[in-house]
Parts: sequence; structure tokens; C-alpha cells
Amino acid sequence: MTTKHSVQDFALLGGPSLFEQPVHVGQLRFPSWERYEAAMRGIFERQYYTNHGALAQQFEARLAEFLQVKHAIAVTNATLGLIMAVKALGLTGKVIVPSFTFIASAQSLTWAGAEPVFCDVDPSTCQMSLRQVRESLERETGIEAIMGVNLWGGSCDPKALESIAAEYGVELYFDSAHAFGCTIDGAPIGRFGRLEVFSFHATDVLSTTEGGCITTNDDALAARLRNIRSSYGAGPPTEVPLTSNGRFSEAQAAIGLLNLETFSDALANNRASCAVYRERLAGIPGIAVVRAHRVEQTNWQSLVCRIDEQTFGMSRDELLAVLKAENVNARRYFYPGIHRSVPYVNDFPQYVDALPETDRLCASLMQLPIGALVPLEKIAAICGLIADAQHHAASISREAKASS
Amino acid sequence: MFSKKNVSDLAAVGGAPVFDQIRSTSNLVRPDFGKFLEYSTIFYEQHRYTNGGPVAKLLEQRLAAFHRTRYCVSFCSGFWALVLTMKCLAVPDKTEIVMPSLTYRRMADLAAWVGLTPHFCEVDPATLGVTAEHAERSITEQTALLLGVHPIVNNCDVDGLEKLSARTGIPLLFDSVESVYESYRGKKIGGFGRAECFSMHASKLVNGFEAGYVTTDDPELAARLARMRAFGFCGEDNVEMLGMNAELNEVHAAMALAGMDDLPGQVDRNRARYRAYQQAFSGCPGIRLLEFDETEQTSFKNIVVELKDDWPLSRAETIKLLHAEKILVRPYYAPALHQKKTSYRTIFGPLPITEALVDKFLLMPCGHFVSEDDIFQTAALMRFLFANATEIKRRMPL
Repeated sequence: MTTKHSVQDFALLGGPSLFEQPVHVGQLRFPSWERYEAAMRGIFERQYYTNHGALAQQFEARLAEFLQVKHAIAVTNATLGLIMAVKALGLTGKVIVPSFTFIASAQSLTWAGAEPVFCDVDPSTCQMSLRQVRESLERETGIEAIMGVNLWGGSCDPKALESIAAEYGVELYFDSAHAFGCTIDGAPIGRFGRLEVFSFHATDVLSTTEGGCITTNDDALAARLRNIRSSYGAGPPTEVPLTSNGRFSEAQAAIGLLNLETFSDALANNRASCAVYRERLAGIPGIAVVRAHRVEQTNWQSLVCRIDEQTFGMSRDELLAVLKAENVNARRYFYPGIHRSVPYVNDFPQYVDALPETDRLCASLMQLPIGALVPLEKIAAICGLIADAQHHAASISREAKASS
Repeated sequence: MFSKKNVSDLAAVGGAPVFDQIRSTSNLVRPDFGKFLEYSTIFYEQHRYTNGGPVAKLLEQRLAAFHRTRYCVSFCSGFWALVLTMKCLAVPDKTEIVMPSLTYRRMADLAAWVGLTPHFCEVDPATLGVTAEHAERSITEQTALLLGVHPIVNNCDVDGLEKLSARTGIPLLFDSVESVYESYRGKKIGGFGRAECFSMHASKLVNGFEAGYVTTDDPELAARLARMRAFGFCGEDNVEMLGMNAELNEVHAAMALAGMDDLPGQVDRNRARYRAYQQAFSGCPGIRLLEFDETEQTSFKNIVVELKDDWPLSRAETIKLLHAEKILVRPYYAPALHQKKTSYRTIFGPLPITEALVDKFLLMPCGHFVSEDDIFQTAALMRFLFANATEIKRRMPL
């Protein structure tokens, strides 16, 4: 499906855009209008709007069943879930966290009064490096916990991290924002460490527009989390260091329940989309799709690829500019690494040049659109565009530099 | 009709409760469903569900116009709106925040999230609001921020606090959660101090499921808050500051907008309820209904009564009796914040006014589920309690 025959055909150099409207990264799954209207009508009839209502309780029960955990505590969003987790675990010291993750992982520590200890990634998996986690535990004093981050529908090997945490006597919990629906050893991610935090943001595979949940098998920890979230009537009052508002409304719960009903369709759609990307990008030199690491089943919610500048013929950022001009809103997730972002770059300058693998990934990875609004034909067209861009890489690069 | 004849008819001793369904102090206003759907179509058609979507933007414009301020920034809740605004406004390197002790039960926790130490002050017994005079006594060299909190009925000493802020250079933030509709000396609440924070929780004047917002005339503060609620991003990849996720989703924004459309109607209904309270409690022994200042704009939403010295039951006893009747009254901000154990440091001197006030006031049922007849029944019950207090005390191990 070649549409760009010469460099002048590329939108970056004055040609027409491949798509009239921007195509975005993000799952963006929402119930049909009819189902949405019916669910909202129910809320208006019951006139119960928030504070651990009937739908929120039902959603929590469904999540607990789906994730095979004792407690699933629905929260306003995953970042607040991570912040609440730090308080519920009573962490006040250092927590190991990868720098190659969404910035909220580290921000949650800062808001809750803990201190990030950044570790590097394993370049072959893009997940946090277990060797680096060990090195941090050996090197640093005062480490209280490890925040394992399960990136992009893959995992950071939570079982191996459980062994390391036990060996060093530190707490372990997980940012599993991207991991809803992924499985390890025949069961979903959600049961590892002291707790796990999932995201139900609109861009994630299960959406409640904004939202998230915390899973745990620990009754006392669940009670503390519910008290920090501060829903009325959601269990007995328990002493907690600080309360917040992490409540989950009936509207969020209604949307979550509807999206859970069609979750298998979402997975099937993602899987098919991912297959088209893999097949069509496979023959293009210098671009490779990152595979989900150490999971039996992924949720295929993110399509991440790595650009090898030498082989592809242009840099990741040059390709990104080409794609954006065509209205393909590919994104650099994550760029820059958290250790190079405010306030961490100033507060913890020791990490600036200490995480070379993170820096390399930040410079070479990008995400392509996958989700409810990206039909397979669009994916095929995006792949065709990338093939054309690679074919004309040297000239595009030259022309773009000349015209800028 | 109120039908209790004897003390044995009280629900607390086994009689039938006055109401089948609870009457609460939560507003729980249901906006028009059609309007809610209309606003929902905006985000639905654009496939935008959060992250400063079109409905949240519309809501922000609407609220800025309503409060007559230049800017409004929406949040996932009033709680995080306050936390983030405190973070932005507190003088760097100073550690204390001045706030009344007789206020919202999580107010000290709010300050603790940004590492500020609450320094509690008294309130004016006549208004239950913080005054400049009381706030000033709690100012030290470490004061980073003044928190002007409006009481549940009417306003606090806005003018005095603004002058105090101007004189001392300490920034002033208003918690105006209970004063959304009010005016102060004819000017809309929303434009005072450096910023004002509001909640649109379902129990508040405007029901946005869970939601909050900040109004300000300060462009830099508005921009900073908008970034801070979205992880500190400025542009696609660039993080400019410590942020978090405190975004308002589009469904909640649609709900809040439908609530705004209903606001004039709601205030009319609230006024009718308040008039019923005035009539029903007129001459009720031992009880004083807190009056709205009708020379200002007011929502007539919250109903507070004082149990006067001649009220024959303690407030705890009164609450227990009313709860049994499914009348879910609540103590007015009790315990006071300085009386609570916290995991963090707080500062306060003697607070005799607060301690004298803390057991006196009750929030009465209000809002969408409360009819005028309910109000007359509630008043009749209160008169019944007054008349039979001696026997109630004798019969009940309260």
C-alpha cells in the first residue's frame, strides 16, 4: 500500500497528510451511547452518586473475581492509588523505582513523602533491571521498599522480585497501571507483593474515563487503604497516618462495569491490531516491535517499537516528525527518563549520567496508535507509511534538514 | 403529620421512626437528565473522556463567568484542588498554615499532604467564621499561608483577612466549599484572596459526582495549577514541576454543568425549605436557627441550629434520638481539629471559644430529599424532645 512515491509526497515536505484527522495513541474504549445512557439513567433513578455506592461495590467485586484477589479497592485514578499505597504501607524512606516508567510512579513517592532510588532498565526487555535492583539494595542504606513497574502489558518478573524483596527484607508493591488482564502462571497479575495498582484511565485497556484500583490479599492493608480513600461505610475505621479523597463515583463504576462486559472483545481487537503491526513492520529494516516480557498473556494495549537509527536511516525523532505531519500522533513514551525530569534532575543529580540504558531507550522507542479508534486498515496504512519513510529515509532526512 | 404521643413512641425506645427513608444533610441534587445527556454528547462525539476535555473546559468557562473571575481550574475533587493550591501558594521554606480549628474534619490532613503544619486559631462565635483578629494571633515567623475558611452558613471575615494578608505579605487562600453562591459586600465569592477552592461532591451545592475547582484572577497561578493537576506536563513530553493526576473526567464535568443549569431553580427550592425551617422552628424552645444574611446573595442550602443553654439534652443524646428517627443530623465540625490525634505535628494555644462552641451546633437535614412537611415534622419532634426531656432521660440509658 505505497502512497508516498517520492519525498515530496510526505506531508513533512509539503505533500498531503495520510489522515485528515489525527490518529492518537491510547485505547479510548467507551460503551455504546445506548448502554451509557441506560446506565446513567439507572444512577439518576437511584439518586446515589458516590461514596462506595452499589455500582462501585459491584465493580470492586467483579474486579476481585477477575483478578483473583481478595480485595480490589477502586480509586479516583491510579496516581492517587499509588500515593495512597505509600501511606498505607507506612513508607517514609527510600523506594527503588525504575526511571524508565511514566512519571507518576516517582511522583507518587514524592507526594507521599518517600524518596525514589532510580534503577536502570534491562535493554532487552525494557523492564526494570533486577540486577540493578540488587545493586541498589547492596549499595544504598535505608531502602524500605521496591516499587515494581509492569510496563506495557509485559511484566518486570514479579516472582523474581518477590524473592529479592524477601532476601533483603524490604517491602514490595507494584505499579501495574498497564497490566490489567495480563497473566503469569495461569493467573492474572494483581496478586504479587503487598499490593498492586492498576489504571483505568481512558487510554488504558479497561477504562472508567479516570480511575484505578488497588489489589491486595491483606485484610488489614485493605482496611487502611479504604480509610485513606475515605469512603463512608466502606468498612470499619482504622488508624491511618493521613486521609485523602480517592473516591470512585457511580458514574465511573457504571462505565467500568460496561467495559468489563466487553473486555474480551477489547483484548481480541488489540491482539488483531498488534498482529497487523508485527506482520507489516517485520520486513522494514531498523524497526522492531517490543514484545511483552514474561507474561503468558498480554493485553496488547501498547504498541511499542524500537528504531535503530543506523539501519532505519533516520532517528526516532525524525521518524516521529514524519508521522506527526501525516496526522499519526505517535508518542515518545517515555522521554526523557524521570531522572532527567524536574524535580528529580535537581534533587537527585547523582542519577543524571548513571542510567545509560534508560537514556538509550528514551532515545529509540516510540508508541504507535492502537485502540478502539484505530481500525486495522489504518494500522496497515501507518505501517505502509513507515515502510515508505524508511525507503526514502536518507532523502527525507536531508530535505527536512535543508528546509529547516 | 407528627404522631408521637408518649416517650415510648420514640424510635430510640422501639417506636416507629418519623421517616421510612433517611433525611440527610447531603444536598444530592439531581440535575435534569436530558441536560446531562446533552453535555455528554459533546465528549462522546469527540471521543475525549478526560485530560482537560471539551466538557471540562466548558465547565471552567461557566464557573469563571459565574464567580466573575478570570480563571477557573477544574479538579477531580475539592480535596486535591485545595492540596494543589496550598502547594502553589505557600511561601517557600516556611512551614505553617493558619486555619480555624472548628472546620472541615480533613482540613489538617489536607495541609499535611503538602508538608505544612496546621496552626489552629479561634473562630468568631457570632459567625462561626475565622476573623483577621483570630488568624493574626496564630501568625508566626514560619507562617507560609493563611486559610480563610467560610463557615457553613454565611461568610467569614473576608475584608479583614484580605487586609491582614496585604499587611503581612502572607498569601491568603479561601476554602469556599460552603459559599459557592454567596456574595460578600455585594461581590461574588470566588474573586477574593489569591484563590478560592470549591467542591462539587454530590453532597454540595452543585453535584458533579466527585469534582472540585479553583477560581483566581492570577494567570500564573491558573497555569501552574492546570499543569500540576496533569503530572506537571508542559507540552507533550516536558515535565515542568512536581505534578500528579487530579484531572476532572468528562462525565463528572457534564454532571456539574447540568447542575449549574439548575442552580437558580435549586436556590428557589432551598429558600422555600429555609422559610419552612424559619416557620417551623420559630419559638421552638432551646433551639436557635442560624439565619442567612439575606442582604447578600445566598444559596439557603445548609441548615444549622444551635442547641441553646436551656436545651435539656446533650448534643450527643439529641443526635442519637434523631438518628433513630432516620433524621441524619450531624454535629457541626466536631471534634474540633485541635482535639484530634494526628500522625503529624500541629500547633495551637488555648482555644476556649472553639471548645465552648464545639458541642453546640447541629446540621439539620437539607437538600433534594427534604420536603417542607419533613421540616415541620422534624421541628415537632424537637419540641416533643424538649417537652419530654426529663422522662426521656429517665427511661433511656443514653
